Amino acid sequence: MRGRYVSRTLASVLLFRQPQPVGAGAAANRPFPGAAPRHSSDGQEQPKAWDPALLEFLVCPLSKKPLRYEASTNELINKELGIAYPIIDGIPNMIPQAARMIDRKAQDEEPKQT
Amino acid sequence: MAASIGAVGCRALHSRRHGKLLSIGRGLFSGARCLVAEGETHFGFQNVSETEKGEKVYHVFESVAKKYDIMNDSMSLGVHRLWKDILLHQMNPYPGTQLLDVAGGTGDIAFRFINYVRSQWEYQIKQKLKSHQNLSWQEISKSYQEEELKLPGGSQVVVCDINKEMLKVGKQKAQHLGYSEGLSWVVGNAEELPFNDNKFDVYTIAFGIRNVTHIDQALQEAYRVLKPGGRFLCLEFSQVNNPLISRLYDLYSFQVIPVLGEIIAGDWKSYQYLVESIRRFPAQEEFKAMVEDAGFLKVEYRNLTSGIVAIHSGFKL
Repeated sequence: MRGRYVSRTLASVLLFRQPQPVGAGAAANRPFPGAAPRHSSDGQEQPKAWDPALLEFLVCPLSKKPLRYEASTNELINKELGIAYPIIDGIPNMIPQAARMIDRKAQDEEPKQT
Repeated sequence: MAASIGAVGCRALHSRRHGKLLSIGRGLFSGARCLVAEGETHFGFQNVSETEKGEKVYHVFESVAKKYDIMNDSMSLGVHRLWKDILLHQMNPYPGTQLLDVAGGTGDIAFRFINYVRSQWEYQIKQKLKSHQNLSWQEISKSYQEEELKLPGGSQVVVCDINKEMLKVGKQKAQHLGYSEGLSWVVGNAEELPFNDNKFDVYTIAFGIRNVTHIDQALQEAYRVLKPGGRFLCLEFSQVNNPLISRLYDLYSFQVIPVLGEIIAGDWKSYQYLVESIRRFPAQEEFKAMVEDAGFLKVEYRNLTSGIVAIHSGFKL
């Protein structure tokens, strides 16, 4: 039991990386380099943010090929089939019926520009 | 000889055409299972076309989404929580498991998974310290940091549902309860999952598979996305084996539940659909055969509450 408390205090020292004065008030004022803030202001401002980690798992349900995230339109694009899946409120909608056909004209223009 | 051929023929029929359910004179509701024409399926006790079923199911859940959790508690008198807890105990996930929860809507299974994995991790740390194994300082500080940043061991849960209203409710719940890391929400069709092959350790579908239009396709997709060694778990309403309880259950289902649906959610029809769809869903053995047909091995089922619900489990080996 004692060993656990010892390891906890030593761990807190490791995390803070500076001498810890007695009193919880001081701890609250200093930013902790190791720990991530629980309620970041970013999270509150953008609750609808898209999590790019999902791209590892997601593929097109029709062709099972990987997708590309398009930040400008907030969509997941399958270039091969020319369809785009919308992301609404941070939740990607992978139902084929919800997918939008990408305009062929836009696709033809791309090789000309590059 | 003839009997075994008949049985094989029966199973082949079930696997090919889910819509055709031969009535085998199974007590009170044998009439509910009758031959349905090609391209048609059942929506509760009605016969509808397959496309219609998908739309109707979507509308049912779209309208009940906000009151879904309250209705679950009132209809099952809170027992659904125990059923879901038992499912998690049977799953027994270790830190590092990748879970796909299909038809996961409001996130009940996903949140329980996260709690379970976290407590497993804390238990492991306690055990290590108790047995005086010396963890290096790096390991200890890492364990404190990981708690803040992500789920222990890199566990991940993806909640997939065809209905975005249900997912919205789930996402809001997650924000209220403080679940954020290791949890993802995707709108997808269980029959056409937007995931690559061999991705997940566990696939669960709790109270969702009876609403799928093509159950065999959903089972095949489940097989596809699971890693070799992965586990399929299905928690679903099933056939009651005790005749007395069966009668009480039927009375409760048809007299009380739709009324509760009207009072609490303002939607009689959706809850009428719910109780009818339970009656239409294949019994334990039949569903076990369907799971086996998809390629799963060591398929077993476990009855809960005298068969009101059953947990079917299979492995991709």
